[in-house]
Amino acid sequence: MSPKAANYKANSIVYFKGDINERIYVLKSGKVVLKYNDIETGQELQDVIQTGEFFGVKSSLGKYPREETAVVLQDSAMVTFSVPEFEQVAMANTRIIVKMLKVFSTQLRRIHKQVSNLISTGEQVNPETGLYSIGEYYMKCRKYNQALYAFRRYLTYYPSGRHASEAAESIQVAERYTQSERAAPAATGGLGPRVAVSAGPAAPPPPKTPSQGKEMSDDAKCYYNAVSLFSQQKYNEALEEFKTIVNSGADREYGIKSLFEIGRCFHSLEDYDNCIKHFTTMIQKYPKHPELVDSLFYLGVCNEKKGDEKKAESFYKKILSMSSEDMPVHRKARKALRNLTGS
Amino acid sequence: MALDMSMFERFAVTFQKGDIIFCEYEPGDTFYLIQSGRVQIVKIMDDIEKTIDYLNPGEIFGEMAILDAAPRSASAIAADAVKALEFNRENFEVLMMGNPQIALKLLKLLAKRIYDQKRRFMILTLDDVQAKIADVFLMLDEAAPVRGDEVARQRSFSTTVDDIAHWAGMSPEKCREVLNHFASQRRVEIYPDRIVVQNINDFARFVTSRRGQQKE
Repeated sequence: MSPKAANYKANSIVYFKGDINERIYVLKSGKVVLKYNDIETGQELQDVIQTGEFFGVKSSLGKYPREETAVVLQDSAMVTFSVPEFEQVAMANTRIIVKMLKVFSTQLRRIHKQVSNLISTGEQVNPETGLYSIGEYYMKCRKYNQALYAFRRYLTYYPSGRHASEAAESIQVAERYTQSERAAPAATGGLGPRVAVSAGPAAPPPPKTPSQGKEMSDDAKCYYNAVSLFSQQKYNEALEEFKTIVNSGADREYGIKSLFEIGRCFHSLEDYDNCIKHFTTMIQKYPKHPELVDSLFYLGVCNEKKGDEKKAESFYKKILSMSSEDMPVHRKARKALRNLTGS
Repeated sequence: MALDMSMFERFAVTFQKGDIIFCEYEPGDTFYLIQSGRVQIVKIMDDIEKTIDYLNPGEIFGEMAILDAAPRSASAIAADAVKALEFNRENFEVLMMGNPQIALKLLKLLAKRIYDQKRRFMILTLDDVQAKIADVFLMLDEAAPVRGDEVARQRSFSTTVDDIAHWAGMSPEKCREVLNHFASQRRVEIYPDRIVVQNINDFARFVTSRRGQQKE
């Protein structure tokens, strides 16, 4: 089966509210409205479908009955899709999906809020108290790692919260347990917490500063922006962004990540000389760079492009010797080597 | 559009077995697609850590975070060593544009969530507490329909009083009281791990009539 063209006369119905039907429609010409009742007021509302717009998507994908009646106001032409046909079209044009994701998330946000309003009375636990109580629960069950996570998060979000000092104290206690567990895993098994305390270090460790918030640093934002540019194949712009991050040097993590990406930009720009120069310098400076093996692969590729097959071969061989077989770069290197040597 | 898939590896995060990925009540601003390993979704209710679900590679969790940084409704814990793609507002569009399969999966999930929320809304707008609870069972029945006798259909749901209370937006105590009342009328049987509704059609008629009365 393939998408079908369908014509509807004015005043006909494409589907009724409550129908179970998995077809998805796109309006080519004419006029169609969706009629439905507002779930809060019961008031009858209608949305006009624009030419080129899909409708019937949500109930088809969610596999539930139609929530609205689709009424044809003027003679209309549409194309109808089964769910798999729609998926095929959407996969080939991700913008359709991303656009729908935005519409759906707005709708979800709205209904979520309406639901929250109805249960706000007495049913909801204050998130601050809730988070603290999760830490307490894990503490009581002696799941110290989990307790640590919850208390640290608590202090991140509520540094001067109602339970801040208790949370800080609990963190110290839990840290002692986790340390003593690590130091003597057998000894703590089955022993009560008191015993474990005395087995811990004499002086409690100083309270750690809560782990960094989830707030994105500017570096991270720049980095993701650059990554986005790269994936849009805007390599020159991405290169400039990554360079800015490296030069600012404010945050080592993103600086180091960006160093690697700069090399990839050069490679994508087919600037093989600069790519080789860049990765060589990077490896000298950071011999333990997390992307070391991938960097070697780019060195291999660039040398091959430049016609230096011997050098390329040695890079590929080096990769094979230092990576495990299940790593994608290992497979890529093996394939490249095979192409090169013809064996 | 040709996109460089290796780029997505940059957004991968890993967790050790037992690590909390996110915690109930924590403000959420990220969601995840599992690449390997399993994730346990738990909620602490009445001082018991209850497993709500186990999720497998290819599944998305924490997706309600694309709403405002609402508090997490449950905790996610790595049940194995877990590798996942981490999505946030900054990388969301890049990842979606470059990965239509994930985008489509999320789209379906959102369609389902919207429906679930609307259905919950319908339950919550009922005034009568008995009708609310009966309607929760109807919702569970719709979610996993079993065809049967149109006159009297017995259904067994692997659910608990706390779950029902959650959906009905009432306290577990109140919910238990109503369920006990139903049990005394022999309309339900309550077991620790499941609740049996003797005749789901009876509940359907009950809810319809209460909803009708409310409109008048």
